Amino acid sequence: MSTLKINNLSKTYANGVKALDNVSLELENGMFGLLGPNGAGKSSLMRTLATLQDADSGTATLDDIDILNQPAEVRKVLGYLPQEFGVYPRITAEQLLTHLAILKGITNTKERKLLVDYLLNKVNLYDKRNKSVKGFSGGMKQRVGIAQALIGNPKLIIVDEPTAGLDPGERNRFYNLLADVGKEVIVILSTHIVDDVRELCTKMAIMNLGEIVYHGSPESAINDLSGKVFQKIVRREDLEQYAKDYKIISNKMVGGQPLIHVYSDDHPQHGFEEVTPNLEDVFFSKINTSNVLV
Amino acid sequence: MFKTFFLSELKYTLKQPMVYIFMFILGLMEFFATVSDNVQVGGAIGNVYRNSPYTLTIHVTIFSIFSLLMAVAFFNNAALRDHNNEFNEILFTTPLSKPGYFFGRFFGALFIATLPLTGVFIGMLLGTYMNSIFGWIDSARFGEFYLETFVNNYLLFILPNMFLAGTVIFAMANKWKSTVISFVGGLVIIVAYIISGSLMSDVDNETIAGLSDIFGINTYSIETKYFTPAEKNTISPGFSGILLWNRLIWTSVGIVILMLSYFSFSFKKKNKKIKKEKASTSHTDKVFDLPQLNPSFSAATHWSQFKSFFYTNFLSIVKSITFKILFLFCIIILVADLSGGFEYFGLQSYPLTYKLIDSIKDNTDIFIIIIVVFFSGELIWRDRDNKINEVIDATAHTSFISMAAKTLSLISIASIINIFFLGFGVVYQLLHGFTRIEIDVYLLDFFYDNLPLFIAFSGITILVQVLSTNKYIGYFIAILILLVWEIVLSILDINSNMLDVGGGPSTFYSDMNRFGPGVTGALWFNLYWVLFSVLGLLIAGALWNRGSKSALISRIKTARREVPKSYRSVIIIATVAWLGVAGYVYYNTQILNTYRTGDEQEQLMAAFEKKYGKYKGAVHPKIIDAKYYIDIFPNERDIYVKADIQLVNASNQVIDSLHFFDGLGWDTTLNIPNASIVYKDTTYLYKIYKLSPPLQPGDTLMMGIDNKYITKGFQNNRGNTMIIKNGTFFNNGEILPSMGYNDGYELSDKNIRKKYGLKPKERTPKLTAELSELHNRNYINNGQSDFINVESIVSTIKEQTAIAPGSLIKTWEDNGRRYYHYKTDTPSLNFYSFMSADFKIAKRKWNGIDIEVYYDEKHPQNVEMMLDAVERSLKYYTENFGPYFHKQCRIIEFPRYASFAQAFPGTMPYSEAIGFVINLEDETENNIVDAVIAHEMAHQWWAHQVIGANMQGSTLMSESFSEYSSLMTIKGITENPMKMRQFLKYDHDRYLRGRSGERDKELPLYKVENQGYIHYGKGSLILYALQDYIGEEKVNLAMKTFLEEYRYKKPPYPTSLDFLRHLEPQVPDSLQYLLNDWFKDITLYDNRLKNAYYKALDNGKYKVTLEIESAKIKSDSIGNETKKPINDWIDIGFFMDDDEKQLYAQQRLKFNKEKSTVTVELDSLPIKAAIDPRHILIDRVYKDNVKSLSLEE
Repeated sequence: MSTLKINNLSKTYANGVKALDNVSLELENGMFGLLGPNGAGKSSLMRTLATLQDADSGTATLDDIDILNQPAEVRKVLGYLPQEFGVYPRITAEQLLTHLAILKGITNTKERKLLVDYLLNKVNLYDKRNKSVKGFSGGMKQRVGIAQALIGNPKLIIVDEPTAGLDPGERNRFYNLLADVGKEVIVILSTHIVDDVRELCTKMAIMNLGEIVYHGSPESAINDLSGKVFQKIVRREDLEQYAKDYKIISNKMVGGQPLIHVYSDDHPQHGFEEVTPNLEDVFFSKINTSNVLV
Repeated sequence: MFKTFFLSELKYTLKQPMVYIFMFILGLMEFFATVSDNVQVGGAIGNVYRNSPYTLTIHVTIFSIFSLLMAVAFFNNAALRDHNNEFNEILFTTPLSKPGYFFGRFFGALFIATLPLTGVFIGMLLGTYMNSIFGWIDSARFGEFYLETFVNNYLLFILPNMFLAGTVIFAMANKWKSTVISFVGGLVIIVAYIISGSLMSDVDNETIAGLSDIFGINTYSIETKYFTPAEKNTISPGFSGILLWNRLIWTSVGIVILMLSYFSFSFKKKNKKIKKEKASTSHTDKVFDLPQLNPSFSAATHWSQFKSFFYTNFLSIVKSITFKILFLFCIIILVADLSGGFEYFGLQSYPLTYKLIDSIKDNTDIFIIIIVVFFSGELIWRDRDNKINEVIDATAHTSFISMAAKTLSLISIASIINIFFLGFGVVYQLLHGFTRIEIDVYLLDFFYDNLPLFIAFSGITILVQVLSTNKYIGYFIAILILLVWEIVLSILDINSNMLDVGGGPSTFYSDMNRFGPGVTGALWFNLYWVLFSVLGLLIAGALWNRGSKSALISRIKTARREVPKSYRSVIIIATVAWLGVAGYVYYNTQILNTYRTGDEQEQLMAAFEKKYGKYKGAVHPKIIDAKYYIDIFPNERDIYVKADIQLVNASNQVIDSLHFFDGLGWDTTLNIPNASIVYKDTTYLYKIYKLSPPLQPGDTLMMGIDNKYITKGFQNNRGNTMIIKNGTFFNNGEILPSMGYNDGYELSDKNIRKKYGLKPKERTPKLTAELSELHNRNYINNGQSDFINVESIVSTIKEQTAIAPGSLIKTWEDNGRRYYHYKTDTPSLNFYSFMSADFKIAKRKWNGIDIEVYYDEKHPQNVEMMLDAVERSLKYYTENFGPYFHKQCRIIEFPRYASFAQAFPGTMPYSEAIGFVINLEDETENNIVDAVIAHEMAHQWWAHQVIGANMQGSTLMSESFSEYSSLMTIKGITENPMKMRQFLKYDHDRYLRGRSGERDKELPLYKVENQGYIHYGKGSLILYALQDYIGEEKVNLAMKTFLEEYRYKKPPYPTSLDFLRHLEPQVPDSLQYLLNDWFKDITLYDNRLKNAYYKALDNGKYKVTLEIESAKIKSDSIGNETKKPINDWIDIGFFMDDDEKQLYAQQRLKFNKEKSTVTVELDSLPIKAAIDPRHILIDRVYKDNVKSLSLEE
């Protein structure tokens, strides 16, 4: 059982943007979902954990490895798939994975060969192993990226927005794969797709503006909201007024008319009806604390 | 629509650095071509201004060939950008107009493609302006600018040439959609052009040649071939004549190509032939199991990681298109260079290994360096450019491993190309039937010279790229280091190779002396640079931008925190090792062996003249006898000299003091009876001894000299080649201190003298008829001695033979060394050499004279022919000029550090480069090797028997006479007179080129001031023509009587006037004008055969009519020309063949009009007619003297 402890991690960029603001988390084996809108600091946090970026203050440890000061040690037990995964031109999928396997310490040729074949098969690319990766479609490239993140015996796997560009079938396969691995290691999955987290993760955190605004399990988050979310279909021109009168969590179009969700400790009446909260309500209620129309 | 695409093309390209980089490069080259005498692009020679319209046009045309490659980049991009960015599908589905898109892009690219060449304009304007401020070169060499020069150059050359090339490249790019094919196309145009240019130059009809030149370059040179300097300085290329027609024709061709391409262009994608995917039969029932993994991070892992990094990086270079193109280009250039063989005055050298090494270096090193610089950026930024950097950076490898692998792949690529070319060289040698292939020399040269350079450059460029914030800044810095740094060093007058990236002593190979005296130093310098490179790499590994991009400062901070102790200690060890080597190199090159930079030398010379100029008139005793005891230690490179020199006071003044300069690097002790040292200057090694009692007129003095030259350590440069392992060669001037004030140490260039406040110096004392003190000094010894006896005992190691002047009296072995005792048989000039090497000796006896060739065992091929040549010379000279007084004629080979032959009394050192390695197997007639021998042999009469006073015109009687004598020996064995024309063309060329490059002033032959192009080139032509006009025996007789009057005579020495006194009686009255025209004036002829017609006559004969223009031109010393009325005898003649080998019906006619028509009746019909068919008169443009006959209409 590994433990990843993050304590008061902060990072401010040269342009003044606070990417990480006093972030503290504690993770154990299993899938951990990191939710947040674009620009919330998810990638900054992940890059910091992947030893690719410095923090201004705070600490992060993986078991007894000090991530910030012993990057070389972390890298030995790390699997990382960045948001943007590119490939070299004029190199095949097999060559690329072999190269990365060597970099990750798989020095035994036979082991490496078996591993690369296994992973290629897992991501359904075994037949295309001798094709140039540069010519792969976006989804295929992403699958190569996933395969490389699984190389070795990582204790910590960080995947940043992994399902962007995958079709539903590929997405399912990917999650199955991740779930397989995720039982025994820490997997941090960053995404802005709420469903991903609901389906996969036992623990999650929501980030906004560099801060952790929620940390816990998806269920308890939903339970907390139970009986406090109400919805109503309203006329478009009345939206502004509702925004003033109620704590709007979200609004979306249903059949051409806005459907609003509001947060209220009591039943607000006026045609509102109670709904069973879902993770999306949690997400929006956590990040939309100023209750503006989003 | 057109406008949109035109402008967007401009906008896009102008945002890219490429156009500015090209412009900068061309501008920089032109800048230096304008303000520096070291950069020669052509055009501005002699009295032509550096910024004349002619110079600019020549530069533009030359640069326009090379800027074709730049054009490829622009046009190819314009055609393929959308395609490559996969934007075509979006773009081509919009309702855009085809002509707007096609022509908009094309003309946008055309405009951009013309911009780099305007850098030439800027470079010249800026150079001229800056020169007016800094005065780098004489402002008199600059003239006015003319706006139309720029406008017309743009419209006549830049725009049409880019247009034509652009249409071809654009069409190819649209057709094949491949950058490689476009580049190859561009290369093909260039290479085809260069090759066709050399083929077309033989074309008889200039109009065809002028019209067919696709870039109009030859057209311009044809149009300007009669331009005088004044015309070159004022007239811009214009829209007229064949130049205009040429431009119109080729622009039309361009339009046709463009239209064809336009009509075949379509927005639709061609139906690609899809390669049928092989049915994936690989759907095997393979079972995939996740193996038990044992990731390990040991030293072995580092090694596998290194290998994997190396492999992927190396492969990425090899597979890249840029690499393939550069490699291909390299091959083309090398093949083009080698296809001409190793020409030497119409002969071919054997393809020796060192010749191939030199050729490979000259042609491919620059490309290899370009490859290293280019791929240093590609490799360093490869991960980031491909957006895989985060994945790679997050793996557990040490950055240094990755850096080292990248560097090694650069080094390997460079080495592999180099070794490929070495293999190429071997194949070339074999194809030419040359079997003395020295693989060891190829490889050693690679290890001594190229590999360290590759290592240094790779390490440094990798470091530069790691430190810089983007690839292009990295390239920029790398180019600065490679190109600009050297210029900076030379401006700062720093010569140390420790600061010149990859610098070190030369290991220039000689068959005799292998890699020479520079090897030790080169190895130390190599170590110094390799360690420097390693150190750079270690730093690069520590500061590698891992993860997100960050500034250098934060990287340094990170490195401080993260770099492990072991790595730090490696850096410290490398630094210490590097500093240690640097210290040792510094000690050897700056302390143990000092050197003087150009500026230091200049300052010293100026200060010397100011300080000691007052002793200029000091009278000095003359040497009348010399005895040497010389011990040569070739392996240690030491020389020990003892000498007894007898001096006499030949003046009528009392001499009370003696002045000496010691040689630099020599440890000299003088032992002079009754003398005490009163002055010693350690900077100039100047010493003054006081004599008491003083030396009375006629008194003699025996001076003992003890002189040592000890080689210590190694030097910044190769060091001297005087004392070397095999091929030691020094002369008496080097082993003795020089006596009296030596004005040879003074600065000579008038501009430099001006800088130090010194008055201009006479190059040579004026020619005077009335006798003066000057007539008592010959121009070799300048009053220090006359003809003297020399005796030498020389010792060397027993494997070698030592040679000194005179007959070998005795040789013996003592203490493992071999001793030789030589003695001159007749008093000779005090000008002789001492040599020692491992020689083979070939001997022959001729009329009691020993003819000997001392040669290296690798060069036996031409020895017999050399003996023949010496014998032939002896025969002709003894018959025509008088006896030979030495008992031997020795030709002695020396290493190719210099490529000359030189005549000392009875001995002629001859460089291995110019005679011994020339292929003479198929030569039956005259050749340059014979000619050089005949020339040096002739010096045994002309210089060593009679020598001129130290004043203008004296080299006429040594160099011109020798060159003439040599021509006569060759003429004697030449059956076809036309063969002599081929031979004389080199003398014409030497003279005409020389005079146009004259910096000071051209003088008539009888006042020549030791100017090679006059005394060799013009002198031999004049004397050759003279014997053709007045007869060989008359010229020889004049020379012989002159020789007899002065042979081995004590002063006064003769002058050219004395020779003319002997010549005049031999010249018939009708030809007396030649003496003035040829000797006393500068005279050129401008003969042209305008038309040549024939008509068959009824009697079976042919009537041939020649329309001839002939002019005689007199030139002043700076080339201002005046036409003189012609009244001269000139030959006409005919050729029965196209190659002008069969001369027919030659006759000498008197021409006294500028235009004359000559009619002759001939028995046979010749093919060509000519005025001056054997080219014996000096005519700037000879080509127009010959014309094919045409039928009279």
